[in-house]
Amino acid sequence: MNNGKRHVDEHVGELLSGFVDGELTQQERQLVSLHCDDCAECREILTNLRDLRQRVGKANLSEVGEDRWRETMDDNTVKTTRSIGWLMFIAGLLAIAGIGVVGFLFSDEIPVGMKLIIIAVYGGLATLLYSVLRQRLIERKTDKYKDVEI
Amino acid sequence: MKNHEMRQQLVQLGNGAHALAIQMLGNADDATDAVHDAFVKALKQPDAYDARTGPLTPWFLRVVRNHCIDMIRRRRPGDVDVDDLSDPGPGPEALLETAQRDQALQQALSRLSSEQREMIVLRDYMDLSYAEIADVLLITPGTVMSRLHRARMALKEELGSNE
Repeated sequence: MNNGKRHVDEHVGELLSGFVDGELTQQERQLVSLHCDDCAECREILTNLRDLRQRVGKANLSEVGEDRWRETMDDNTVKTTRSIGWLMFIAGLLAIAGIGVVGFLFSDEIPVGMKLIIIAVYGGLATLLYSVLRQRLIERKTDKYKDVEI
Repeated sequence: MKNHEMRQQLVQLGNGAHALAIQMLGNADDATDAVHDAFVKALKQPDAYDARTGPLTPWFLRVVRNHCIDMIRRRRPGDVDVDDLSDPGPGPEALLETAQRDQALQQALSRLSSEQREMIVLRDYMDLSYAEIADVLLITPGTVMSRLHRARMALKEELGSNE
């Protein structure tokens, strides 16, 4: 860079970018300011550079979202072991629930009427739970603000 | 640096790193893979980053950039699609004017050299200082201003011829 020798009448070139970015020394800033006072061409470039910087800064060059990166961060081993863990846990829960339901349905100690009442209560709860979960799932899929952090 | 601390900081760098990788690889999916691999690499050995040598951002972007360079080297000719430099974007619900402006910008960027695109993304999109840019690109800080200025003037010209 030869800005030390640069005269105020010479076009300031790349110093305009440094000026826009706040990366110049005080002496360089003064040189650019003085030059732009008298040079319409450099003044226009300066305005264009500011607009350009603002435009690129506001552009959507990547729209992935932090949640997605959080998921992506985990390496494949972590993902696989986590999936296996969940699978085993859910399978175990389902097996226990299945044994309980079969035992309940085929039990001779509980009267049929009582069985029907209990089935109605648990069936109702399960239906409500399904309805809420379905609603949440639809909202999550269609919510365009889900990645916005407040 | 501890793994969970690094994890917190890296999450915030994801989009910037992705934008840089898109500009280098010309493809949003490959860019996602590159950022993912860089995350895994960084988190597997968090001690590889020494906070005394500088901030995490340039260090991580250097990891992403090196990985992108490796991917480019492994590619066969014709794999790079320079017209596909944009992320899929905000979708049909986005404001049309903004989408069109961004598309014009992405097209103009695609006509610059890879080095110029990196410069623009690192400074104007990620807001890195000249010293940090020099650190990422492994160049001397003194050359950042002139290269960046040339990149901006080239982008301005491309946008001017487009709009």
